[in-house]
Amino acid sequence: MNWPDLSMGGYGFYVWGSYLFALLAIVWELVTLSYRRKSREQEKAAPEVLRGTTNETTS
Amino acid sequence: MNLYKYASPTNFYPLAGKIIPWFATPAAILFGVGLFVGFFIAPPDFQQGDAYRIMFIHVPAAWLGMFLYILMAIYAGIGWAFNARLASMMASSISITGAMFTFLSLVTGAFWGKPTWGTWWVWDARMTSTLILLFLYIGFISLQSSIDDPRRADRAGAVLALVGVINVPIIYFSVQWWNTLHQGATIRILQKPTIHGSMLWAMLIMLAACWLYSVAVVLIRVRCIIVEREQNANRFVEATV
Amino acid sequence: MLRWIVWRDLILAWRRRADALSTLFFFVIVVSLFPLGIGPETELLRSIAPGVVWVAALLASMLSLGRLFANDYQDGTLEQLLMTPQPLYLVVFGKVAAQWLTSELPLICIAPLLGVQFGLSNQTLRVLIVTLILGTPVLSLIGSVGAALTLGLRSSSVLISILVLPLYIPVLIFGAGAVEASIIGLSPVSHLYLLSALTVLALIFAPWATAAALRISVE
Repeated sequence: MNWPDLSMGGYGFYVWGSYLFALLAIVWELVTLSYRRKSREQEKAAPEVLRGTTNETTS
Repeated sequence: MNLYKYASPTNFYPLAGKIIPWFATPAAILFGVGLFVGFFIAPPDFQQGDAYRIMFIHVPAAWLGMFLYILMAIYAGIGWAFNARLASMMASSISITGAMFTFLSLVTGAFWGKPTWGTWWVWDARMTSTLILLFLYIGFISLQSSIDDPRRADRAGAVLALVGVINVPIIYFSVQWWNTLHQGATIRILQKPTIHGSMLWAMLIMLAACWLYSVAVVLIRVRCIIVEREQNANRFVEATV
Repeated sequence: MLRWIVWRDLILAWRRRADALSTLFFFVIVVSLFPLGIGPETELLRSIAPGVVWVAALLASMLSLGRLFANDYQDGTLEQLLMTPQPLYLVVFGKVAAQWLTSELPLICIAPLLGVQFGLSNQTLRVLIVTLILGTPVLSLIGSVGAALTLGLRSSSVLISILVLPLYIPVLIFGAGAVEASIIGLSPVSHLYLLSALTVLALIFAPWATAAALRISVE
């Protein structure tokens, strides 16, 4: 096992940049997913308030 | 055991909920292992130094982008042919993750290109085809989000996805043709790093991690879609309360 | 039935000549914008001419596609057409043929003039016309799939572009490539063969996809 050179031989910006971007993409996906779940919870709790109608079958 | 009952979104919902941790946890573990092998065990490359380590996220992202498009088209086709709502919901769920991975592969490809070839963007066959694949994903997602009726959105998306998947080989071939004709002064062939054992292992582990992650995220999203579309069905409300 | 559909669409298009003519003018204007944006050097213009003319043809096709089914959909004719005993494939084929005659054929006729603006030789102009004759049917056919999918939606014209332009890319590559080969002095034949292959594929499969999409959109 060899400790990696943190500057990546001078290419540090590119290597760490791309992994950072990958992390941001994954985080974005998970955050939007949890946002979707939260708004779904809200809607289940108080559907009349959010949709302005009662809980009857629409389309 | 009757598996067909899981074709119903209402029955699939709790099953998906149970499956998700079995994919999410191994995904996280494999990400850790893959990055460890990729950074601590794999040696620097002879030609590219340490810059090649971007490959461990770029290649899985590119493969997954392509694989997920085909999977999305298959699910959409099944949903259309058998009138199976859940299959269409899966297709819609996959589309977003697939687009994300395709975009990620373009960005990491650019980050890899700058140190190795000198420019951020190169119109080579692979990058250009990946860009077009991203456009196809965006088309699918835009079409589905512009149609209000969910069943029409499912079927229209299926037609588009199937037309797209048939076109993908045609597009790839024509882009390759276009690229080799225009090579001109800069003969640049993507220098694949010679794959040594540890590098190959790291890449395969990362590929497995990305795939497991995709399954987990797609299942989470399909559960959201199921709730959004089925919430008016009384039996569903009772089942999930 | 096929003849009747083509004839009907031609008559309707004739009554609204302005629509088809505006597509033509759009094509001419877009092509003329490029030299204004890039510069008047003849060599440079000659090298970008194939791409510019072809891209402008793609964009002009996009404009005319919105009209393909929308008018019939709005007044209910499309539903009637869907219910006829004749195969929907033929109905679609007829409408696409009429669209090609009214929107693409004018482009083909005026393209040589635009080619002259870019300093192309006679030989190259001939190749340009041939590629347009072979390639514009594909534009109409694939575009009809997009038009059928986005029937009745808001902002459908932009949506059609997003859906269909990536699928146009092989046609663009081979069409512009053929003209470019002719400019450099190589034979454009291989490009033309591939372009013809695309045309044949589109002729066979696209109307079927469009018919399926129409049934989906007109529930």
